[in-house]
Amino acid sequence: MLRRLEPLKSWEGVLLVILIGIVIFNSSMTPHYLQFQNQINLFQLHIEKVIIALIMTFIIINAEIDISVGSVMALAGCVMGYLFEKGLPFELCVLAGLLTGALTGAFNGFMVAHVKMTSLIVTLSGLIGYRGLAHVLLENRSVGNFPEWFDRLGQKPLVGPFPFALILFFLLLIIALIILQWSGAGRYVFVIGNNSEVARYSGVNVRRVKMTLFIISGLVSALGGLLLAARLGSIRGDMAIGTELEVITMVLLGGVSIFGGTGSLFGVLLSILIILNLRNGMGLLNVPGENQTGVIGALLILSVLGPNIWLGISESWNRRHVQRTRVGEEEKGG
Amino acid sequence: MMDQLKRYFRPEQLREMSLIALIVFIFLFFGSQIEGYFSPRIFNRVTSDVAIIAVVALGETLVLLTRNYDLSVGSIVGLTAFFIGKQLTAYADMPPGLAMLLAIGAGSSLGLINGLLVAYARIPSIIVTLGTLAIYRAVLVAYPGNKIVVINDLPPWVSEFGSIQLFSIGEFDIRPVVAGAFVMFVIFQFVTTYLRFGRQLYAIGSNPEAARIGGLPSQRIVLSAFILCGAIAGLAGFLYLVRYGNLNTAAAQGMELKAIAAAVVGGISTNGGKGTIMGALLGALMINLLQQSLLRWLVISNFWVDALLGLLILTAVFIDSVIINRLSELWNRRDQEINPLDEKKTIKEKKSNAA
Amino acid sequence: MSSEAKVPVLQMRHISKRFDTTQALDDVSLELYPGEIHALMGENGAGKSTLIKIMTGVYHPDDGEMLLDGKPIRVTNSVDAQAYGIAAIYQEPMVYPDLNVAENIFVSHRSQGAIVNWRKLYEDAEKILAKLDVRLDVRMPARGLTLAAQQTIEIAKAISLNVRVLIMDEPTASLSAHEAEQLFKLTRSLRNQGVAILYISHRMEEVFEIADRVTVFRDGRRISSLPRIEVTKEKAIRDMVGRKIEDFFAKSKEKRGELIMSVRDLKKANVFSGMNFEVYRGEVLGFAGLIGARRTDVGLALFGVEPADSGEITLHGKAEKIRSPEQALRLGIAYITEDRRQIGLTMPMSMASNISLPMLRQYLSRLGLIQTHEEDTTANHYRERLSIRTPSIHHPVGMLSGGNQQKVMLSKWLNTRPQILILDEPTRGIDVSAKAEVHQIINELATQGLGLILISSDMPEILAMSDRILVMREGRQMGVFTREEATQETILAAAMGQPSGTMEDA
Repeated sequence: MLRRLEPLKSWEGVLLVILIGIVIFNSSMTPHYLQFQNQINLFQLHIEKVIIALIMTFIIINAEIDISVGSVMALAGCVMGYLFEKGLPFELCVLAGLLTGALTGAFNGFMVAHVKMTSLIVTLSGLIGYRGLAHVLLENRSVGNFPEWFDRLGQKPLVGPFPFALILFFLLLIIALIILQWSGAGRYVFVIGNNSEVARYSGVNVRRVKMTLFIISGLVSALGGLLLAARLGSIRGDMAIGTELEVITMVLLGGVSIFGGTGSLFGVLLSILIILNLRNGMGLLNVPGENQTGVIGALLILSVLGPNIWLGISESWNRRHVQRTRVGEEEKGG
Repeated sequence: MMDQLKRYFRPEQLREMSLIALIVFIFLFFGSQIEGYFSPRIFNRVTSDVAIIAVVALGETLVLLTRNYDLSVGSIVGLTAFFIGKQLTAYADMPPGLAMLLAIGAGSSLGLINGLLVAYARIPSIIVTLGTLAIYRAVLVAYPGNKIVVINDLPPWVSEFGSIQLFSIGEFDIRPVVAGAFVMFVIFQFVTTYLRFGRQLYAIGSNPEAARIGGLPSQRIVLSAFILCGAIAGLAGFLYLVRYGNLNTAAAQGMELKAIAAAVVGGISTNGGKGTIMGALLGALMINLLQQSLLRWLVISNFWVDALLGLLILTAVFIDSVIINRLSELWNRRDQEINPLDEKKTIKEKKSNAA
Repeated sequence: MSSEAKVPVLQMRHISKRFDTTQALDDVSLELYPGEIHALMGENGAGKSTLIKIMTGVYHPDDGEMLLDGKPIRVTNSVDAQAYGIAAIYQEPMVYPDLNVAENIFVSHRSQGAIVNWRKLYEDAEKILAKLDVRLDVRMPARGLTLAAQQTIEIAKAISLNVRVLIMDEPTASLSAHEAEQLFKLTRSLRNQGVAILYISHRMEEVFEIADRVTVFRDGRRISSLPRIEVTKEKAIRDMVGRKIEDFFAKSKEKRGELIMSVRDLKKANVFSGMNFEVYRGEVLGFAGLIGARRTDVGLALFGVEPADSGEITLHGKAEKIRSPEQALRLGIAYITEDRRQIGLTMPMSMASNISLPMLRQYLSRLGLIQTHEEDTTANHYRERLSIRTPSIHHPVGMLSGGNQQKVMLSKWLNTRPQILILDEPTRGIDVSAKAEVHQIINELATQGLGLILISSDMPEILAMSDRILVMREGRQMGVFTREEATQETILAAAMGQPSGTMEDA
């Protein structure tokens, strides 16, 4: 049994090694690399994605997927921008944006949990449809000129050197960690992801869990959209394109299985750090954005290829020397 | 007669017929709303656009049938288009046929990489193609030279390619791109219906475990599916270059989602094993027709197109999962007799129940 | 019919196979003659499936040889097996749901050309089905077929490959008695055509009905191999278990207690109707019937997984509409599924996590965090009480044997402190001694005051364990028999639709 746990342990271990390697390399290139401010800036550039990655972890462990997150970010932003243009008080617009996220999440969740459609297709339609709605609202315009407190929140530090979004991320990270690893709700997420029928037969309200996860995903995506708007100072219909792929890469690289049932936030955190530091380092080397993404794509593939090769080698070694057997006799049907 | 009909028209075929009906409906509806809808110009515009995305959807379908995904087709199309564009800029005297073959070859090698990683390294296809989506796009960006292809630098036949008239039906010209796409669909419909290889695609998607144990060469077949998908995407890249001429590094970005959407609307199941090539064609046709029609419809602004598109995809799959499955169940429940002996027993039971 | 040929088709000689520390097979020999149904019996772990896997090329023997028609052969993979005419069908048929019947039959043929001739495919498929005296629409996708029909496809597949040795591993486990009878007919017809059949089953009656020869394995060794006429049930059991099992169907006579639940006119459209019965404390109410009788559906309705449409369920005088498993659990109703692999247990998770799952809410602290030490205490309690064999309570349950998994499932539901426990085929697919243990536990539970509903297709089991037996047929209640009235004949008659004997109304 311990043999089975090892690959998981070593996934985070390997990630840690890679991370250390990247940090060492980067800091050897610029003297200021390890400075606090630089690390904070590192996060800030991608803070919205990183926050969404937290909820995406839950969703993928639950054996679902949400590729509409980028479009929900845009839609929530555009709802806010549209209402703001129309003269509504800003706070109301922010609320409306968040509500939009919750509603899209509820719709996604309803389709997946009650109508029982595949989440890939539902959120694919959402990816296209929600962005379409965002364009309907703002067409080709961009909206800016937000109240000063909003811009300040997005661009200036809040407590010490830490910006609001970063503080938010840490808080959410801790909450997410506690919920996933130690709470009953977290265990439900794992069980459903492993086998939703077993969960159902065991009295778990599968529909409620899935619905909740999708609503939170919508809400967090909306939040991400608003944070992005605050950081950039403007909203457009085509904001946050491509976010979903980045977020999913962060989660998968972190060791969460695409099939559901296994994964940890610790791995996702390491993966986030790797991706951010990698991007930063490559940026310093003037590597264009798409190439950075390419490197991360390669890293994603290698992260699964590596263990597979390892397992393949150890399996054929086992077959030759030793055979595993089940405890207490028996082979299937036997 | 009812039995004869039952034999040949299963609920799964109902899907395609309803698609055709819908396309006809859209056609007629918008025809009544839009001036000059039935003109040759619009016909060309629609069919040329559809041709490219439909071809990509065709390749994607082959992969979807095996219960896999290829999210990298957009990058493959963009990369091959860009690559061929660059080659033609440098070697203006390259014959068009060679250029096309080069595109197909390039696409095949990209598909080969995907296939090896999925079939032999056993990495889930979502992960592989998510990675190659990024990698292939990065290769595109890293291509030496300036990051654009300009139509003026390309040999003249490129811009003329699109206007060649192969033949005409009345006033409507059939362009080579359109004809070619149609021919490909016919070929692959044949492949998936009559060729053993095509049937094996369905088998693997339907029950991958059984395929593996039952002695089907699963790995080789999945690899072939990815290679074909890449090759077809490469061809689409060639068509893309010919169609648009001017390219930048964002060429064909996002095309994979449209291809999957077209296939899914056309009845291909994301779980593999179900759906037909012709269905994918109809799906692509319908999505594009709707898109082009909405763009020209003055009642709503252009910006509604995508929103409605999302709704369309959702509705199509909803109909699939809810209605067609229900129908299939009812259809099949009647044919449950296993043995003539059964019949005698059921008759006896029916009699005693009535009594 | 006994074997007449002198040369066996397939001979396994002195086969040994070792896994890690377990000797799965120890110098085992077996002969399969053409035109003979050779039954192989033995407990789980006796080595039966290891032998099958060696025959079909999944495993390779450490020692010994295989002879086909007297000549040594090596079966290295499934392709070899197919070439030698060795085929196996299992409890769960492996069909391609989206392909039609004809394609399913011929899909793994290596001799097929590159182009599919559909008309010939359909004709050939119909020919083979005709040979089996079976009528199926060959154009129908396999998805819609019953399990029995799918199994027929498997057999048709084997025939199309000119099978010489057909291995049937628990083929009737998921079939109704009626379908099983059909399967026997097929099997006999195959035998008469000269196929050598190796038939593995836990069901004694089946073996004695169909076999020509009976071989018993125990702990990886061959204990006996005799023509069926020379074997008795007692001897077979003795050989399988190695000791006498006394009265493993013993039922203690307890008085029944108060009424827990009363069901009136329970109905679910197109599934079942007219269900009227009571469940008392300390009593085992058996649900008998042929498969397709919809007993499981009634169980699922009582448990809220697939709620009924109409009718009354009254618990301790209070009428309830059970709409979800959550609700059922709160009312004290628990349901143990027949399919532990698919819907019973979460295989990669530990025993402790599996057991606490339905009651997880009670293991949470005020903040919603799981109190693992309490979970562990619970798990250890059941480990002792039900004698569950596992290296640790944190071991993934997927690694335990079938019998132990069944016990973990039992623990999981006992932990919900039910008043009513619905057991759906609790001893299916587990060996004789584990079966006896389960029966003992059921008796104990009844003594402790639980009301039990026992759904079982095992006639002797249900006759021995139940205080009263409710018989269902195609979704309708045919009657309730008391222990005295119930005999195999009366139950079967009711299950098949012919009223006989006295029939109690609820």
